[in-house]
Amino acid sequence: MKNILLACSSGMSTSLLVTKMEEAAKSKGEEVNIWAVGQDKAFSELAKADVLLIGPQMRFMKKKFERAAKEEKVFVDVIDPVAYGRVDGESVLKKALAFFNE
Amino acid sequence: MEKVMGILERILLPVADKLNNNRYLTALRDGFMVALPLIIFGSIFVVIANFPFLDQLLTEEAFTTYQNALNPASAATLSIMGLFVIVGIGYKLVEQYQLDAVYGGVVALAAFLILTPQVVEDVSGVIPTASIGAEGMFLGILTAFISAELYRFFVQKNWTIKMPDGVPGAVSRSFSALIPITLTLFVFLVIRIIFSYTPFDTVQNFIYSVIQQPLTALGSGLPATIIAVLLIQIFWFFGLHGQIIINSVFDPIWYALNDENLQAFQSGSELPNIVTKQFIDTFLVGMGGSGMTLSVIILIFVIGKSRQLKELGKLGAPAGIFNVNEPIIFGLPIIMNPLIIIPWLVAPVVITIITYFAMATGIVPKPAGIIVPWTTPPILGGFLATGNAWQGAVLQAFNLMVVCLIWWPFLKILDKNYYENEEPS
Repeated sequence: MKNILLACSSGMSTSLLVTKMEEAAKSKGEEVNIWAVGQDKAFSELAKADVLLIGPQMRFMKKKFERAAKEEKVFVDVIDPVAYGRVDGESVLKKALAFFNE
Repeated sequence: MEKVMGILERILLPVADKLNNNRYLTALRDGFMVALPLIIFGSIFVVIANFPFLDQLLTEEAFTTYQNALNPASAATLSIMGLFVIVGIGYKLVEQYQLDAVYGGVVALAAFLILTPQVVEDVSGVIPTASIGAEGMFLGILTAFISAELYRFFVQKNWTIKMPDGVPGAVSRSFSALIPITLTLFVFLVIRIIFSYTPFDTVQNFIYSVIQQPLTALGSGLPATIIAVLLIQIFWFFGLHGQIIINSVFDPIWYALNDENLQAFQSGSELPNIVTKQFIDTFLVGMGGSGMTLSVIILIFVIGKSRQLKELGKLGAPAGIFNVNEPIIFGLPIIMNPLIIIPWLVAPVVITIITYFAMATGIVPKPAGIIVPWTTPPILGGFLATGNAWQGAVLQAFNLMVVCLIWWPFLKILDKNYYENEEPS
């Protein structure tokens, strides 16, 4: 199971993306577990994740997340703003899955 | 233009980083998050207790009984929200040092209570609810910061009582907290005693009159509010979450103003403040999200010709009704879009001014101090925030139309650009 955690200010706007990513994963036949939380919960959820994707509007927190993620060996990335605006689950999923090949 | 944007982005990103990653501001924001479910619980019951027309439908006696039955719900939560914020801040701050966080919460609470007056009109052994509500807000926040820091300091000094091996972990932990808590609270007791010899009598009076009153007076004014609103919009224009960045500075002020209104609302006296947490959350953010983008969605449905905007409208509408607008901000896009910057900055300022004067002149009631969750759809939000006043709903509907008018010419140009670049289907 590939665990992908999404984080934004309160987990609202990223949760829009979760549904779209799940749909994309289903059509690809990928076994994934995707969930979204607010930034304050993200640190405690980190241990359960393999990849953490943060909303572009929270990109100023990237460094802080990276420090915490390093200990848990979690990859951190900022979601592309264009894909975020289009709620493009497929392209975000593709980028997230790329981490599992590294 | 690109160059200017690049420079601004380089300035704003570190500012956002500093504000959001500051230890104290993080603890403050997370502390308010702890209190939020309780605040909303209390708010729901203020709304229910003050349903419109109930006072006319019921007899005066029945109405009083009804209100008295429901009042403890808000009296135990919303009215004394300061207490929960203090526990939250103490907990979250000590947690950041990876120490036993629950002690951070209780030590902050005890320190605050030590500084709180324990006399009401010569009756001793009582705590005035005002001091643990709005008036105590700033003292509470400061006390939580200082007590949590002192606690951490004493723990890290390692002046703890060491238990022999074999003593259960929970037992030795309770002892290990003993010395740091004793020392921390002693400091606050000394502070209380010192202040009792000053003209202020209590620390609470001192902080309230020297810090809280001037700051909230400044923060409740129109100029400061417009500056805060503009900053939020500018951060968002660069794709940064303006609300979360600015709130961490303004929330103590906005919540304190809110609480003052709640007290007045519940006692039936005139509401003192126009700008409160609800002024921002309901009348500015609660209109489809920062920048009132529900109007933009409405406008897309009315005048949109391009496939790109029509698609965006469909995508953004369901979330937009609940004031989540990232699809619009990143999809229109609003970020870094020179055409959009004018309505993006102008509309919220215009709405701030309209709302302010509608309330200042008494056409629309001021926010009643009820915390309406920011995800409450507009119209309903305005109704609830003003203490179940239809005028609040009408004001929001009117403001949505004003935002539409401001955006109209700009969205028309954007739509035309998109439309001309699309292949005819």
